Amino acid sequence: MRSPLFPTQEIGSLAKPRWQLMGQRTEPLDDAAKADFRAWDARTHFAEEMPAERAALLEGRPREVGPERVRDLGAMFAIRFLEDAGLDRVYDGEARRIEMYEYPIRQMRGFRFQGHVRSFDHKYYLKAAVVDELRLERPYHVEEFDFVRLHAKAVPKIPLTGPYTLADWSYNEYYLARQKGWKGRGARRAAQREFVVDLARRAIRPTIHALIERGCRVIQIDEPAAGTHPDEAELVVEGFNAATEGFDAEFSMHICYSNYRDLLPALLEAKQCRQWAWEFANRDTDGHDGYAVLQALAEYGDTREVGLGVVDVHRDSVESPEVVRARIARAVRYLGDPDRIWVNPDCGLRTRSLPVARAKLDAVVRGAALARADFSSPRR
Amino acid sequence: MIVRTGLTGPAPRPEPLITATRDLDRGRTTPEALEELFERTEHEVVALERRLGFESITGGYLRWPDVFRPFAENWEGFAVGPLTRWLETNTFFRQPILLGPPVRPPGSFAARLPPTLLKEPAQGRILLPGPYTFASVLDNRSGETDEAIVHRLGRLLAEEVAELCGLGFRTFLFLEPWLVVRPPEGPRAEAVVAGYEPIRAALGGASSLVWTYGADGIPALPLLERLPVSAFGIDLAETDVERLPLARQRAGLGLGVVDPRTTLGEDMAEVAKVVRAAHERRRPPVVWLGPGAPLDLLPWEPATRKLHVLPAVSQALGDGGRS
Repeated sequence: MRSPLFPTQEIGSLAKPRWQLMGQRTEPLDDAAKADFRAWDARTHFAEEMPAERAALLEGRPREVGPERVRDLGAMFAIRFLEDAGLDRVYDGEARRIEMYEYPIRQMRGFRFQGHVRSFDHKYYLKAAVVDELRLERPYHVEEFDFVRLHAKAVPKIPLTGPYTLADWSYNEYYLARQKGWKGRGARRAAQREFVVDLARRAIRPTIHALIERGCRVIQIDEPAAGTHPDEAELVVEGFNAATEGFDAEFSMHICYSNYRDLLPALLEAKQCRQWAWEFANRDTDGHDGYAVLQALAEYGDTREVGLGVVDVHRDSVESPEVVRARIARAVRYLGDPDRIWVNPDCGLRTRSLPVARAKLDAVVRGAALARADFSSPRR
Repeated sequence: MIVRTGLTGPAPRPEPLITATRDLDRGRTTPEALEELFERTEHEVVALERRLGFESITGGYLRWPDVFRPFAENWEGFAVGPLTRWLETNTFFRQPILLGPPVRPPGSFAARLPPTLLKEPAQGRILLPGPYTFASVLDNRSGETDEAIVHRLGRLLAEEVAELCGLGFRTFLFLEPWLVVRPPEGPRAEAVVAGYEPIRAALGGASSLVWTYGADGIPALPLLERLPVSAFGIDLAETDVERLPLARQRAGLGLGVVDPRTTLGEDMAEVAKVVRAAHERRRPPVVWLGPGAPLDLLPWEPATRKLHVLPAVSQALGDGGRS
């Protein structure tokens, strides 16, 4: 049996602390931001390795630090925040990223941002169209990874937005224009396939290569758009395989808020995917067993690891360690093998305040420990 | 061929309006300044619709957060629920929750219309959720069956139509993507037909369009043909014209020829070709052309740029679009 049983990990983003946002704008910290900084530093010692930056920020001299070093400090904060919670795999809470779409797209040529599109109410996101041949300017997230590798004590796991999601969240002009005749369903599907595969080969793959060269061993490919068009699950897989084929690293695929059954069995063709990191806790409510969908993996005979979402990132109420333990136990029943289970939040915790995020991570770690004791006992 | 053109859903907000709504959230502008900008922008949308020769004007319905909110927020018996994905898109609506029998406060929907429309109702195109789509998306906690909800929403929407006809409106477009995304069968399909009967009765001589999108329209054609409406629309990004059954259709045929899921502009000759092919297969009395899905899946600039294909096609095929 692998040791320890039920290892823990994060999935992606954390909320940026107020002091980081103010510091990036070179605004002097207000009292609340200073108090927050001091409280977390006392708890996790995140600023110990950056004493000059700590002093400058707390003494009202943010310009001496500058936005880039503030981001470094933000990354250091997230690394220690996650390590202090006791996770086995960590990253930097995506402290340097604005979001998961715009940044990667801006590292490529061939895209043109078109304007804002409504997500809901008065919330918008910037959306680009691929208008020309796609070229990566340079592999991205590499310096970010270097920083984490240098400072993290736990194993770093980097999240990368997958090719299918980058394509789905963009407009497709270039590839669609190459289709002859009426741009109906068949033409759109063919154009999207070309787009996804090009993104995988020309942008994601060189980035993964560069990350592995720098020592990256664990890579999470985020494909939140996968569940949006269940009939395109094969395209999700084609993109994943094109991006990861032949690389020596541990790959996982993160999908959330989807009907996973609709994506099977197509997803199972993701050859290099060692772990499914999926959301479950959000749907585990009101007598509905959110983990029952794991039976589908068993039905198809899939024996990969599962990154088990055990806390809901969309609610402030914090799950107890006992709830987490019970969820793990149910997953073991469905999968039949405790060794395959990693324990994590459903998704990135960025929408939760840092105290709530930390409380949920504590529940993840303590719940996993309870389950570990249960399954390590002679009665198992 | 008689061709008419127009918007088939809300328009996107231009960038200055997006900035202003954000500024209001952050306390950087006042509600009065935002209201002034909304009115000015609605006038710009109307001016654009007129320049493009559209059969009716909408003002863009720029204030609505989603098409259900004017009802979920104003009709009694409803609450506004959680964010929910809108079809296979990266946009979300707040799911209406039906807690008990819905009641329509008179005048409440008219108060949510763009003010510019109320000044020229005879030219206005009213957007409404279709009763089947409305019933399908809501969280029904009322205890009534889904079929009964379709009936009930049909009656309430008919009351809205009657009230708006009284104000002088003559064109009503019902957004019904669920008719093709999840085509109803059996008693539910009968409930849909019955749900449109009170609407037909309320219309008097006004026009009614049912606009579907998001999936292939062909499986739903038998039901669409039974609806007592002036025209029904299908999304040509999802529906292959060559597979449309040959028939002489009683109602007008709406064709979604502008695809809001891509910024790539449509080729006028290709659009004309596909419209001609659809017309030959269905022989409808009128062809209505518009975006295949709500245009607010695009930002303002590409959305308005893409609309220019409509008058060009109308000119090429019909009588200029103003028959």
